[in-house]
Order: sequence, then C-alpha cells, then structure tokens
Amino acid sequence: MAQTTLKQKLGTTAAAAASVVLCAAFLLPVAWMVATSLKSTSEIFAIPPTWSFEPTLEHYQRFAGQARIVSRYINTIIIAIGSSALSVIVGSMCGYALARLRLRGAGVIATLILVSRAIPPIALVVPMYLVFRPLGLLDKHITLIITYTSFLIPYVVWLSRGFFIALPTALEDAALVDGCSRLGAYFRIILPTALPGLAATMIFCIILAWNELLFALILTNREAVTIPVSLAGLAADTEQGALWGPLTAIGTLTVLPIIVFALFVQKYLVTGLAAGATSGATN
Amino acid sequence: MTRLEALGGQTSKVTAPRRNLRRVFEPYVFILPTVIILITLLIYPLFYTLQASLSNFDTFTFSPATFAGFRHYERVLQDNNFWSSVRVTAAYLLAALPLQLALGVSIAFLISVQWPGSKIVRALFIIPMVVTPVVAGSMWKMLLDPLWGYVNYLLTLIGGKPVLWLADTNLALISVVIIDTWRWTPFIILIILAGIVSLDPEPVEAAKVDGANWLQRFVYVILPMLRPVILSAFLVRWLGAIKMFDIIYTATGGGPGNATEVINMYIYDTAFRSLSFERASAMSVLMVLAAFAFTFLFIRFSHWVER
Repeated sequence: MAQTTLKQKLGTTAAAAASVVLCAAFLLPVAWMVATSLKSTSEIFAIPPTWSFEPTLEHYQRFAGQARIVSRYINTIIIAIGSSALSVIVGSMCGYALARLRLRGAGVIATLILVSRAIPPIALVVPMYLVFRPLGLLDKHITLIITYTSFLIPYVVWLSRGFFIALPTALEDAALVDGCSRLGAYFRIILPTALPGLAATMIFCIILAWNELLFALILTNREAVTIPVSLAGLAADTEQGALWGPLTAIGTLTVLPIIVFALFVQKYLVTGLAAGATSGATN
Repeated sequence: MTRLEALGGQTSKVTAPRRNLRRVFEPYVFILPTVIILITLLIYPLFYTLQASLSNFDTFTFSPATFAGFRHYERVLQDNNFWSSVRVTAAYLLAALPLQLALGVSIAFLISVQWPGSKIVRALFIIPMVVTPVVAGSMWKMLLDPLWGYVNYLLTLIGGKPVLWLADTNLALISVVIIDTWRWTPFIILIILAGIVSLDPEPVEAAKVDGANWLQRFVYVILPMLRPVILSAFLVRWLGAIKMFDIIYTATGGGPGNATEVINMYIYDTAFRSLSFERASAMSVLMVLAAFAFTFLFIRFSHWVER
C-alpha cells in the first residue's frame, strides 16, 4: 500500500516536471521575442546570445512610435472591433433561432457553417478583389469589417447557440405571454441575460480578426492596412536590413493584448475554435 | 392574472390570423441576416470564381468577358508549378497533421495529471495558439536564422553544426512544419485534454485495480475512449491546415525556389504577381472541390468509425 502511494507520488512528480519543461519549451520562442525587443541592436546580434542584459525601450520608441505604425494599430482595432460587434449581433440572433425556434432552414445554416470552414479563404478573396476593385471598395475599413464577418459569424452562431440552449426558458416565456414579440423579447430580455457569454464570444472574434492576414493583404494597400500586413512587409525586408529590433517590438505589441484576452476567455477558446467542425463530425 | 387575461381576451379575436402569420415568419427574421451575409460573402464569390475560371478576363472593364471553355483548366493541369504546389501541400499535410496529433495526444495525457500547478501549465499552453500567425512566422524566421538564430546557437551548444533551416531546399518544408507544429500542437493538446477530463473515470479505475500500468491504461483504456475527440480534433486541424498561408508567407515566402509554395501561396502568386485571375480562379475551383471532397470523406470516415 505504502509502496503504491510512493510510486504514485513519484509518477505525479515526474509528470509535473515533464509538463513544466514542455510548457517552457513551447513558451521559449515568445520569451525570446519579448527579450529581443528589449535589447539594444548590438546585444541582439551578440554571440553567444544573452538573457541578462540592460533592457532598453529604444525599438519601441523609435519604430512603434512612428505615426505610420500607430495608424495601423488604430486600423486593426477599428476593424477587429467593428467586424466582431457586427458578427456578434447578427450571429447571435441566428444562434438563438437554432437553439429555441423550430424552423426549416436549420439544415441550410449548419451546411453554410461547415462550408465556411472548408473553403480556403484565397478562393473567396480573389473574387472579392475582382468585384470590389471596380466598385472602389478596396482599401476601406468598412470592406474589411464586412468581409471578416464571413469567417466570424459561423463561430458566433455556434458558440451562442450553446449559450442559449443552456439558458432557462422561463424569462422569455413570461415576456412572450406579456405580449412581447419574439424580437422584442430577444433584445430586451434574452440578450442581456446572455451578455457574459456573448462578451466572451466577442473577445474570441476580436482575436481572430486581429490575427487575420490574407483578406487585409489583398483588400487594402494604404489607408486601411492592418498590423499583420505591415508586419509581413517588415519580415520580408528583414533579409537586407536585419530589422530584428522593430520586428520583435511590433510583434510583442501585437501579441500581448491578444494573449491577455485569450487568458480571459480560455474556457471558450478551445470549444470556440472547434465550433462547427465537431458539429459536422457528430451530426 | 386578470390583467393578462383581459388583454388577451380583448385582442385575440382581432389579431389571431395576423399573430399566427407572425409566428410563422418570426424565426426567419432571426436567421435572415446571417443567411444573407453568408450567401453574399461565401456562395456568391464561389460562383464568381467559377465564372471567372471559364472566361477570358477583361482587364479593361475588370470583369470576366468572353466564354473560354476549359482552356484555363487545361493550362493549369499542364503547369509543372501547379503540380509542384500540390505535392508541397500534400507533403506538408502528411507531415504536420499526424505529428501534431501524436504530440498533442501524448502531451495532453501528460498534463492531465493533477498537481498543484497543473492549472497554470494548462492556461499557459493557450499562448502559442493565439500568437498572430504573421508574428509566429517572423519570430521563427529570426530564431532559425543561420547566423544569429537562437536555434542554431542551441544546436552548437550540444555539439551540432549550424543548419540552413529556411534556406536549404530540403529543410525548408521541415522548418515550416516545425513552426506550424509549435503553433498548433497546443490547440490539439487542449481539445484532447478537455476530452480526457470529461471521460468516465470508472474503466480507468477498474484497469488500475486489475494492475494495468499507466502506459497500458493509456493505450488500452483511455485512447479507445478518446476516439471521437481525436477524430474531431483531426477534422478541425485539417480544416485549418488546408488554409495554410500566413506562416509560409512570412517565414519563407514560398521559397527557396518553390520548396514551400503550398497551393494557397501559388494561387496568390498567380493572381497578384502574374495577374492571371483566370488561372488563379481555375486553381481555386479545383482546390475548393478537393477540400470539400476530402472533408466529406473524413466526416464519412468518422461516422463509420463511430458505428
């Protein structure tokens, strides 16, 4: 008896040690990036590389402070928040209908969601470019806000459907008996009750929109350029200029808010990313 | 009670048909915005792509003009670069998906062990999968740099020779798989972990009583019970992997040569570097058909396994 518990303890300790080492290995690249962004240029290229150095904010001040980069942050924020808000409003209504109302179109929506996940975005963005260019819709915030909903709404529908199924029906029944229309009951009673879940969904959408490259790369060129696009440009230039300082500084500023958000909504993150696909596997 | 009944009693006669009509149409008010947006942004572009792939594109009016038949498809199918990108895509999928699944399942099993810090470790595993793909690509480009990269430094510490990770034709795709695996394995870990946590503990306990060690419990008890979770993790990862673009675009740009040019990269180059929208559209159509066909097969397969 005593032997098995000792063995168990040893096993747990070994598993704990191994998982800490593995976790550290997965985090090392990010730690390296943050550390590099705080080094002076000569220390970045010191051999051997060092983890003890005099931290400096010179890259943040010199490059991240540039008006051009700041405007790209603002673009990314506008587009991420705008498209996420639109997706949450539109998609949650659909998620509610799927959860509560009997309707014929449910199969169509499930199919649309699976289709949206199986289409490589390049197949969408080439025709979008061809249609938007003659209409003068390229390089506008609103264009990205609307096109981003094509991949955000499916997630919202699926996540919010889950929240609404879990919500007690008593409240809305009372509102409906009181003479509220479904739509009225939805906006006045149901939406406020589901707010915490929808806020998490919104954050989830912001993460996806914030990270998006392909749509922004093709549909913008000057005014509405987002951070991933300018980072990709910077990464391509780094061969000649060795721009590691600005690249790591802007990279750090790009992922830090996302990591904070992600730790907030960790409970929903994995289910969210799996949404729709697992439905396809089980239906 | 009286107020409600009185109100209902007064109005029901007048508005009953109208109210029934409303009850029938109201659900569609809820789904209509979603359906309209998704049809406009998903289905319409697909048909436009199909049309463009069968037309001669007029760059003056910037629209598909005359009918071209299957000429663009013929050209695509005779294009060596297209087939090379198909091979690269297949190699990437065949290397990355099994690797990430195997690593993900094993690490999930490891971190499913409860100890005082296990919650923190699980939370930290979220970080790689939310790192912006562009940042992941550029960060690893620096880490894998032949001269100043940290990876080569670690390699020389243990007595190895510096390696041209991204510049060597034979190694570049492997490097891309490493970057992709770094970013996506944590996602598999967390899906599988959620599956392990929600498993029925009884069979595991029974196996323990019967004297099965941890490896036997994992292989013979836990793994079979996890089959549905593993299948859906595979499906999700497959759906993500066929969209592979950002990491390659930043880390290698498809090079050296076209060693890492997956099909998405090649379509992008054909459309926006060669400005051949018709051929890009034809390839998009083929790509979408292949993606749908395989996705359908995998879903069918998982149904079959479940049965």
